[in-house]
Amino acid sequence: MATTASDSADDDTGDRDRAAQGRRMVWDLIRGQRLRYAAAITAMAVGTTFLLSVPYLLKRATDAIARGDADLMHTVVWAAVGVVAFTAADGFFTYLRGRWAAQASEGAVRGLRHQLYSHLERLPCRYHDQADTGDLVQRCSSDVETVRVFLAAQVVEIARVSLLLAVAVPIMLSQDWRMSLLALCLVPVIVAMALLFFRKVRRLFEQVDESEGRLTTVLQENLTGIRVVRAFAQQDHEINKFLERNGEFRDLEYRLFIAMSNYWTTSDLLVFTQIGIVLVGGGFFVVQGQISPGTWVLFWWLLRTIIWPVRHIGRVLADSGKATVAIDRIGEVLAEPPESVEAVPAEPIGGAITIENLTFSYGNDRPALDGLSLNIAEGETVALLGPPGAGKSTLINLLVRLYDYEQGSIHVGPHELRTINRDALRDAFGVVLQDPFLYSKTVRENIVIGHTAASDAEVESSAHAADIHGNISGFADGYDTVVGERGVTLSGGQRQRLAIARALVKDPAFLVLDDSLSAVDTKTEARILRALARRHGNRTTILIAHRLSSTRLADRIFLLDQGRLVQAGTHDELMAVEGPYRRLWNLQGSLEDDLRHDLAEATSATPRRAVSEAQRT
Amino acid sequence: MSTAEWIDDDDAEQRVDLRLWRRLLVYTFRYRATTLRFLGVALMLAVSDISFPQLTGRLITAIQDDPRQVNLVAYGAAYMALSLVLCGSIWGFIACAGKVRTHVSADIRRDAFEQLQQLSFGFYDTRSVGWLMARLTSDCNRLSNILAWGVMDLVWGTTLMALVAVVMLVYNWQLALAVLASVPALFVVSVFFRKRILRTSRKVRKANSRLTAAYNEGIMGVRTTKVFVRQQENLDDFDRLANEMREYSVRNAVLSAVYLPIVLTLGSVSIALALAIGGHQVSVAGLGVGEVVMFMYFAQLFFGPVQDLSAWFAELQMAQASAERVLGLVDAVPDVQDSAEVARRLREKGDDGHPDHVGRIEFRSVGFRYREGPQVIEDFNLTVEPGQTVALVGATGGGKSTLVNLLCRFYEPTAGEIMIDGVEYRQRSLRWLQSQLGIVLQQPHLFSGTIRDNIRYGRLDASDGEVIDAARLTGAHEFISALPAGYDTEVGEGGNQLSLGEKQLISFARAVLKQPQLLVMDEATSSIDTETERQIQIGLARILSGRTSFVIAHRLSTIRAADLIVVIEAGKILEQGTHTELLSRRGHYYDLYTEQSLRDVVRIDTVLDSPAGRHAAATRASR
Repeated sequence: MATTASDSADDDTGDRDRAAQGRRMVWDLIRGQRLRYAAAITAMAVGTTFLLSVPYLLKRATDAIARGDADLMHTVVWAAVGVVAFTAADGFFTYLRGRWAAQASEGAVRGLRHQLYSHLERLPCRYHDQADTGDLVQRCSSDVETVRVFLAAQVVEIARVSLLLAVAVPIMLSQDWRMSLLALCLVPVIVAMALLFFRKVRRLFEQVDESEGRLTTVLQENLTGIRVVRAFAQQDHEINKFLERNGEFRDLEYRLFIAMSNYWTTSDLLVFTQIGIVLVGGGFFVVQGQISPGTWVLFWWLLRTIIWPVRHIGRVLADSGKATVAIDRIGEVLAEPPESVEAVPAEPIGGAITIENLTFSYGNDRPALDGLSLNIAEGETVALLGPPGAGKSTLINLLVRLYDYEQGSIHVGPHELRTINRDALRDAFGVVLQDPFLYSKTVRENIVIGHTAASDAEVESSAHAADIHGNISGFADGYDTVVGERGVTLSGGQRQRLAIARALVKDPAFLVLDDSLSAVDTKTEARILRALARRHGNRTTILIAHRLSSTRLADRIFLLDQGRLVQAGTHDELMAVEGPYRRLWNLQGSLEDDLRHDLAEATSATPRRAVSEAQRT
Repeated sequence: MSTAEWIDDDDAEQRVDLRLWRRLLVYTFRYRATTLRFLGVALMLAVSDISFPQLTGRLITAIQDDPRQVNLVAYGAAYMALSLVLCGSIWGFIACAGKVRTHVSADIRRDAFEQLQQLSFGFYDTRSVGWLMARLTSDCNRLSNILAWGVMDLVWGTTLMALVAVVMLVYNWQLALAVLASVPALFVVSVFFRKRILRTSRKVRKANSRLTAAYNEGIMGVRTTKVFVRQQENLDDFDRLANEMREYSVRNAVLSAVYLPIVLTLGSVSIALALAIGGHQVSVAGLGVGEVVMFMYFAQLFFGPVQDLSAWFAELQMAQASAERVLGLVDAVPDVQDSAEVARRLREKGDDGHPDHVGRIEFRSVGFRYREGPQVIEDFNLTVEPGQTVALVGATGGGKSTLVNLLCRFYEPTAGEIMIDGVEYRQRSLRWLQSQLGIVLQQPHLFSGTIRDNIRYGRLDASDGEVIDAARLTGAHEFISALPAGYDTEVGEGGNQLSLGEKQLISFARAVLKQPQLLVMDEATSSIDTETERQIQIGLARILSGRTSFVIAHRLSTIRAADLIVVIEAGKILEQGTHTELLSRRGHYYDLYTEQSLRDVVRIDTVLDSPAGRHAAATRASR
């Protein structure tokens, strides 16, 4: 993702294009399922026709009964059989519709999920730096769920109600136009009321959600901080805090229930009034002799079949507005440009690393690297030292192309880094990041992620080298122990060592340890350093360390500060000149002097006291 | 997110244990007035429900008999009146159920939460926060749904069905039987499908939470994924989950797509029977067309409750596990609590009958093990005079933190006793001991809110001045006042806007503000940089002087100053004495000390601590 100056100039139009592009991507996925949707809608149309023919059967039977026909039983029995058969037929098509609609919507959503996951993995680190994990996960889960509900339920419901009306209205009109008017007069009011109500009540829904969120936060904070609560004997305070939230949530939710009951009651009243109009109005027309009792029953039954779904459609329409928002939010993510893809070089990646005049900054402020130049020979072991913010980790990030630099150059062997395919480059590296991430998988799976074909022996030998084998063998399931929330929780030092094992098993051309020994004790550190020393000579190793002890292994030491190289050379060279490196060693030396002094005092104290006591006597 | 994972934890469907539900019903009956009101409403609703078919049937019959005699206005008025009663009942129904639903849910949650504040750490050790959260959120909602809507539907449904059956039987028993014939089949089919639908929907939920977890992991681990070129493998793993999700969702939808048509068809059988038999009776026994229509209406009316009740019945079986878990939580007995004797004294006198003073502390042959675990502490004897600072040193896993936990009575010794001023501490109230304590932990937990709020947590009635004094004393004031918002800086959830060292300083200030008689520091300054550490040494000396303190530390400077150093290994005391005494002994402490000094090698940051470096640290902190 090479950002150029011109990009920012038309950022605005770019954003708009991007939003449109994202929306298009989502719609494309949905459009891919249109055949299934068409089949579902066809099935629905056929089913609806059967369903709405039932009142017609009832009409014929009723008329026959009312007239007292001679072959009454013949008509009635056939009508009864017809009712069951038609309902069953409608049922069959309803089943087909349900199946196809589910396949269509779930298929589209599966595609959407796949697209999102794959895209998130390919988005550059710059994007992930500024993105909020919680928000992204929400887009991938809640927003996708909103789209899913839209596709699986709302679209289907809208189609169903449209079909119900499309079939029912002609049937009604074919019977009697005045009755039709009577039967449908309140329908627009019912739909409009639902639409308005759910638009208006949306705020209340949100308030309830927010209140629940606050309640959950109080709960979570209390439970994670339970030790602090106890330590400060603040149970009463915590209970009060909780009760306040609990009561607030309860009251808001209750308010929502009351609002809902107001709506349902009003809307039910409208529905019953509509049915009553048909009943009484129909009765009037029957009395007038304008329609038969059968027609009357037909209208009454038909209306009762369609009125409940129609009443519901207002809510569906109001809710489906959320889908547009969700699609836009998903589209925003999908429209972000992923990392660029370059060609894979023919020969394996390796050789010396040459960095020239490298300048890089994460944001607009202070550069993280400021004209840095250094080179690392093939097979060399180097240590990078420097205070936080010196640019050590940044250099590593650039080396594996987690970020792209604009100024200066890095060459690995003969190639300029920016021309090398990222994946191919990263394959050549074994990086232990500062805060290593472990997947919630087994220990073995975590170790082999960089080298899936690794044998058990290789896994174990790298675990030995990282001095983690002992810990792993101590777990109940050994290498098959699952780590993470659902499994064993590892300490910081164990996680670091597991990450080292994971990098070692790759046997990479370049091994990078970014402050990876900070949480292990001196003895373990020494053992790991010894194991690393075996790589010495043929593989390049870059160590970032805060402890001086880690640098003992290095051929050369680079001291960085403020993104610049301050000192470079072997240990002996650096000790020979006045500078930060020597100061560092001297400080450690003075500490050891202190120690010696303490010891001397303590050990000499006893004999001296003994002597003086002896003298006194 | 993580909560979702625990929702359906070990949710095997079980036989309904009525005792459990009777216990829970108590929650519903707490709202006696609402419950009574509801009974009235349910009855009214059922009565108006069955009046509609009768009114409709009668109108049709009347018109059939003699169209000119029919008073349509009267019928219309009656119909509207009935509609009003019905809708009023519906309003009452939802309002009552809503009231019980929200209040019962809040009550169960409150009881569980209050219980959680009493339960000892032994309880927390075996349960994750996510698991507990799921009990208080989804389980509570589920149960209160059953206790409100389920119970109300049950009352309304059975009343309505009974009324419909009675009215039909009174009108015409043959027709009635014809209509009722398909009911048993309908019930069986409904329970069968409802259960399966619930089961698959649970699978859908599980698959969904796995998907969310996968997204979460994918985003959190994106650097590792990139560095190890795992995109394709991760995507393959993800696709497996997504396919599983699709499969379950489709299966769930198909089950519903089969179930509903069957219900409707069974319903149509009843209607058809009413029609056919009714038609037959019209021709032979002079039954009116109105009655036939009325019976078809009755048939329809009958199905609603059957479907609802079968759904609740299935849900009851599924929610059995939720009920057990929640009641298990509410009824759990804390391992550590005031004895009956202490509770009695607290009730009668307001205190536990001992002076409010922490004097000499004695561990007498104290032993401890976690449940069935190995012996962590064995025959531990130690006497600490008031005002002494005790440093506990030794390798990790030696039992230092356990000792401190025992001292704070977060756990109680499984053998021996701990005396405070000559009184066994189980003879004293838990609340008293814990209000004398100030504790600073290695992993300090901050609550969301400002820095000021967090320090004040130590003593809620402390003034702003006292808060700042405490921060000064612990060396936190400096970095806090460097922040743009100072003491009003929001620390973020769990304090994640601050570095670990900064959080340690705040939690230190919080403990100091409490002015405890007994101070416990468990690796409390481990992540504070050398520079700051040097600054807080003076403050620390003042804090520790004249206050009994237990310190677990690896910094030499802190240990060296202690009045008493206790070297612990495998739950036993190896050596104890002052710094010089122990060094001269050339024993375990000497070994530890020499090794530690190497481990404590100065970090490079301190030497190269340039202004720029400091600036970087400050901007990082303010982020």
